Amino acid sequence: MADVRHTEYRGNIHQLQKELMQKWYERLNQAAETGTPHTASLMISGNCVELLEAFGVVPIYPEVNALQLAIRHQSLDPILAAEEIGYAADNCAYVKADIGCYLKGITPTGGKLPKPSLVLCNFVGCNTYVKWFEHTAVLTGSRLYVLDVPFLRLDEPSRDDIDYVVRQLKELVTILENITGKKFDYDRFVQAVRCSAQVEELWSQIKHLARRSPSPFDAYFDAITLMGPLYVYRATPEGLNFFRAALDEMQAKVAAGQGVFDQEKFRLVIEGPPPYPFFRTFRDMFAKWKACTVASTYSTVGGLWEFGARHDPDHPFESVAMHMLAQNVTNRNFLQRYEQIGRYVKDWNADGLIIHFVKSCRLFSAGQGDMRDYATRTLGIPTLYIESDLEDPRYFAEAQTRNRIDAFFEALEHSKMTATAV
Amino acid sequence: MRIAAGVDVGSTQTKAVVMAENGGREILARALVDTGANVRKAAENAFLAACHSAGIATPEVGFVVGTGYGRYNISFGNTQMTEISCHARGAHFVYPSTRTVIDMGGQDSKAISVGGDGQVMDFVMNDKCAAGTGRFLANAADVMGIGLDEIGPLSLRASRPVRITTVCTVFVESDILSYLAQGKKAEDILGGVHLAIAKRTLSLARRVPIEPQITMTGGVARNSGMVRALEEVLGTTMQISPDAHFMGAIGAAVFALEKMDQSFESSTWRPEHAAGSGH
Repeated sequence: MADVRHTEYRGNIHQLQKELMQKWYERLNQAAETGTPHTASLMISGNCVELLEAFGVVPIYPEVNALQLAIRHQSLDPILAAEEIGYAADNCAYVKADIGCYLKGITPTGGKLPKPSLVLCNFVGCNTYVKWFEHTAVLTGSRLYVLDVPFLRLDEPSRDDIDYVVRQLKELVTILENITGKKFDYDRFVQAVRCSAQVEELWSQIKHLARRSPSPFDAYFDAITLMGPLYVYRATPEGLNFFRAALDEMQAKVAAGQGVFDQEKFRLVIEGPPPYPFFRTFRDMFAKWKACTVASTYSTVGGLWEFGARHDPDHPFESVAMHMLAQNVTNRNFLQRYEQIGRYVKDWNADGLIIHFVKSCRLFSAGQGDMRDYATRTLGIPTLYIESDLEDPRYFAEAQTRNRIDAFFEALEHSKMTATAV
Repeated sequence: MRIAAGVDVGSTQTKAVVMAENGGREILARALVDTGANVRKAAENAFLAACHSAGIATPEVGFVVGTGYGRYNISFGNTQMTEISCHARGAHFVYPSTRTVIDMGGQDSKAISVGGDGQVMDFVMNDKCAAGTGRFLANAADVMGIGLDEIGPLSLRASRPVRITTVCTVFVESDILSYLAQGKKAEDILGGVHLAIAKRTLSLARRVPIEPQITMTGGVARNSGMVRALEEVLGTTMQISPDAHFMGAIGAAVFALEKMDQSFESSTWRPEHAAGSGH
C-alpha cells in the first residue's frame, strides 16, 4: 500500500546526540586508562546521577552499553560468553551482554570501559539489578553499594519511604567522599538538581509536542535517541544545552508543519523496550504504514516527567528520593502504568497500542497479557501484542513480527475507513 | 463478469483460488501445490493451475492478492495482505455468521475475532514457537511412523489418552518415545497429543473474545481428531468447510475483487509473461 519503506529523523539533534555520547565514551576510556575521573556503574531506572555529578563522578550505564552493542549487532558474542560460564538462556539478556563485555573486554565503541570506582545498585523496580550488580562487583573487584528503594505500593510513597531513601542517599554521600577524597559540595549538588529540573521541563515540552499532528518526532524511536543524553548529561550544563537545542528544533518542525510523516496515517502508543538488535528493521515495519509513535512508556523508564513531576533544588535529597520512588515507570505499580497508557491514548490522540513483550525480562513484561486485555476491553483501543527480546537476537522472528504488524494495520486501516464512511 | 484470484503461500502448501463476480461471488477453481524451496515457482504453479482448472486465460484475471508467509516472494499479482485478514474475510465469505476464526496452519495457530462485515477486530497468535501448530502434529506423526492423514482418525479411537506434558515440538518426541516404550497404544498417545494442542489453542483463543459462530480454518481443519479435541475443550461445535484449507486464498480472492475497483498503483504482471513459464 504505502510507498514509504524507511524513516530517518530529519534534523540535527541525532547528530548532536552521537557527538555527546561519543564524548561520554571517551571520558570512560580516559578513566580506564588513567584512573580519572572516578566512575560509578548505576541503573537507568530512577537513577541518582545528580549526586554523582556533585562529586564529578561519571556514570556508567550498563544498560546503555548493552543496547549500544545490540544496535551495532554485537550483542550475541557477549551473551554467549556469559552463557558459557553458566548464565541460563532465560536470564536477562542485558545482564548477560554486560557480564559478557567484562569477560571479553568488549565495548560498543571499541574503547575501554573502566573498572568502576563504585558499583552503585540503585535497586528500583527490577530485582534482577541486585544480582546483576553483585556479579559486576565480583567481576571488577569494585566496591558495591545497594540502595534499597521500596516498590511503590500505593499512589504515592509514604513519608517513611522517602526518609528511608534519603538516609541511604546521605550514607552514599559519605561513601562517595571516601572514594573521591572530596568533601561533599552541597551547592554543587543543588546546582545539579536544578539543572535536572530544567532538563526535565524541556524534555516534557518536547514530549507534549507529539500531541500535534503530524508529530514532529517519533516518541519511541526518536525518543530513545534523546534518552542517552537524558541519563548521562541530565544534571549538567551540556545536557541543558542539548535539550534546549532539541526543543528549538522540534518547535521549528511544528511551526513548519513537518512531521515524521507529513501525512501521518496512524498514531501509536508503544509499551516496552524495542528489539535493539533489529532496531532499524523494527522501525521500518511501522514506517511502511506511516505510523508514528506519539507516546511510549519506555521513554519514562529513566523518569516520568510529562505529567509535571520535577526534581526540586529547594529539597534536593527529598526530590532525588521521590524520583527514585515514584517518578519512573519501573518502580510504579501496574495500575499506574495502565493509567499512564490511558492518558497517552486520550491526550495524545492515539489510534492503537503496541505491547512489545521482552522474553528475557520477566519483571517488566509480566502482566502485559492483562494489560492487553485492559487496553482492548476497558480502553477500547486496538492493541497488538508482539514478542521478542530487547538484546538477544535469537528471539526475533522477522517474518512473524512483520506479519502481526501488517495484520494490525490492515485491521486499523479498515476500521478507520469504515469510521470515515459513517 | 469480473474475475480475481487469491494466492496463499503457506509454509507447507500454496493454495490458489479463482473467483468470479457476476451479481454474486462464486469460486471458479482451486489449486493446491507443495510450497517446497522455490516459493516463487510454487505461487506461479498454483495460480496457473487454478486458472487452468477454471478454464480461463490468466489475462482474464483482473486482480490478484497474495497472502501467507511467502506473499512478498510472489513475483506476480497486484498487492499483498496478511493471512490474518484473509482468513477472517474468507471465513466470513463462506460462513457469514462467523465471529471467531481458529486457524491452524503449518507453523502458525491463531484466533481471530471477526466483525459483522468480515473485518479483523482482534487477533492473537502463537509466539515464536511451533507448539500448537500443524508442525507439532507432523512431528508426532513422524516419530510414530504413521502418515499425517492417518493420525487424526486414529486418535479418535483413543480410550485412555495419555497425558502429554510438553507442547514443545521437539521435546514431544521424547514424550512419545517414552510412552511407546511403556507399551501405550498408538491411538492413546495420539489422543493425548491432539488434546495437548487443543488445550494450548484454547488458552490462546481465550485471549480474544470467543464468540459464536466459530469457524475453523487452515490445513489442520482436515484432521478429524484435532477437530474433535478442539470442540471438546471449547464445549461447542465449529463450522468447518471442505474449503477450510483454502480459506486464506478465498479471503485473498474476495479482497482482490474489492480492490479491483480501487485505484491501485501496482504491477499487473502475470506468470505467462515470463519467458519459459509453462501452461
